[in-house]
Amino acid sequence: MSNKHSVLLKEDKCEGCTNCVKNCPTKAIRVHQGKATIKEDLCIDCAECIRTCEYHAKYAETNKLSDLKLNDYNVALLAPSFYGQFDRTFDPERIKKAVYKLGFDEVWDVAYAAEAISQKTYQFLNKNEGIYISSSCPVIVRLISLLYPELLDNIVPFNSPVDLMADYVKDQLSIPDTEEAGMYFITPCPAKVTAIKNPLGREDSSLTGAISVDKVYPKLLDLIKNDEELKNIELKQDYQPYLGISWGQSGGENDILNNEGIIETLSVSGIHNIKKVLEELTRGNIKGIRYLELVACPTGCVGGIFNVNNPFQAKYNIKTNMREYSDFIEQDIEEFNFELDEKIKEIGAEKLDEDFVKAMDKLEQLEQEIENLPGLDCAACGAPDCETFAEDVVNGLAKRSDCIFVLRKEIGDLADQLSLLTHELPPVMNSEDNKKDENDK
Amino acid sequence: MKSKKIIEDGIEKRDFASGGEVSSKLKNKLRKLGIDNKDIRRCSIITYELEMNLIIHSEGGHLKATINSKAITIETKDKGPGIEDIDKALKPGYSTATDEIREMGFGAGMGLNNVKKFSDDLEVTSEVGEYTKVKAIIKLKS
Repeated sequence: MSNKHSVLLKEDKCEGCTNCVKNCPTKAIRVHQGKATIKEDLCIDCAECIRTCEYHAKYAETNKLSDLKLNDYNVALLAPSFYGQFDRTFDPERIKKAVYKLGFDEVWDVAYAAEAISQKTYQFLNKNEGIYISSSCPVIVRLISLLYPELLDNIVPFNSPVDLMADYVKDQLSIPDTEEAGMYFITPCPAKVTAIKNPLGREDSSLTGAISVDKVYPKLLDLIKNDEELKNIELKQDYQPYLGISWGQSGGENDILNNEGIIETLSVSGIHNIKKVLEELTRGNIKGIRYLELVACPTGCVGGIFNVNNPFQAKYNIKTNMREYSDFIEQDIEEFNFELDEKIKEIGAEKLDEDFVKAMDKLEQLEQEIENLPGLDCAACGAPDCETFAEDVVNGLAKRSDCIFVLRKEIGDLADQLSLLTHELPPVMNSEDNKKDENDK
Repeated sequence: MKSKKIIEDGIEKRDFASGGEVSSKLKNKLRKLGIDNKDIRRCSIITYELEMNLIIHSEGGHLKATINSKAITIETKDKGPGIEDIDKALKPGYSTATDEIREMGFGAGMGLNNVKKFSDDLEVTSEVGEYTKVKAIIKLKS
């Protein structure tokens, strides 16, 4: 259990391989004593480790449908990507009705807020110069605050669609005391769970929790086909925000931003690709672009690990669903509270020491350590590469001999010394030398 | 505190594949030292521009960065061809890049101008046919 993160480890399933260690974009995982551990302050809940673990030792914690018992009144917020889980035989209206039957009293579309953000962002980009990054993917926001804090000012200073929608819905609920409602996001990814527990740029979240798509999907598939069950349900929102739904796949956010007018945009998905883009951006080598839609999961939110349908099919489903629609839902976007409560802060976990002079000393030590390592990045030490291992050594978190090559050399040196020692004779057996020694005194 | 060298790397002419490596390495080190983000960004941009200048225009050379508690100094020295008119080279939009380089998306003439814009002090010295030396100083916050 972690109060900060949702991505966690099942210790008994971990075999101690280093696949997750090598693939972690923030180098947050180490394997020690045959078990992986996740460094809390470096984890951004991107779920790359869950994707790469062959032993299914990584998992992510979310709420269950049975948690709906905790409140008398429950509200579901659906992600745009949710609609990618179904083919065209099921239209959004039907899908939403089936979600009601899971035990929710109100069901709302995050896509509705997404449409509002697109319009707001268009205005923002026309008022402000420079290049901006979408704030919608919580993994990317956390990645920037951890590894690229110099780019924090480039993040559009608005709430993500989920937060925006949750705040909005809370004001619209059909019960007098809105605090009494259980507000759940049906989430495609663990990062949205973390964004509820441990929000960035906000004091707290309007959401109670999040339930993963895979936990509702089987039941939903039965309900959705049952005309009898769905017949008498009245939707809270009787319009379908098709344009907003396109946010569920990468490129969708930019498509509808350009629905407002021409904006130079670029969409990149997949966390390792995104790191490359951010690296180029820090050195001023991304030119001519005004807006970057960066989504950590490959193919966008439809690629979230909780989704059931494969991301490629899901992307297609979303694209076909919106084919015939080209207009925003008519709404007063000023009803939304776009502004963040506070500036998104740097996580700043990379410093060697708070004190500059001490940090300089440590940097020198670090370089020394790196020189003594083979540079193979084999990860047999449990760290992802030699440089990170050296840093662990300098910070007292690992010992040099954890590197098998250093260990081998140390054993070799010891063997050489042993062999030398075996040629030394006890003093009584080496009379001439002893006499010489005596005379010298 | 005495200045300490934190990076020194050779840069080969036309080695586009390595462009940006020195900049990234320097950035990682500065981050470990806890340098202010705005200063890190300035250093990243300056180093990248200088690196690319050496790759695009020079016969190769090297880049060195030193640091003390007050400032970071980034220096390059190359093996020619040298700059005829330094004042002109520092102006935005001025470039001697060939069409081939321009087709690759470089050579817009913003390189040295960008270095000037982001550094607190800049010295460029050159002898035509011999070398160009650049020394950029970034004063650190706090």
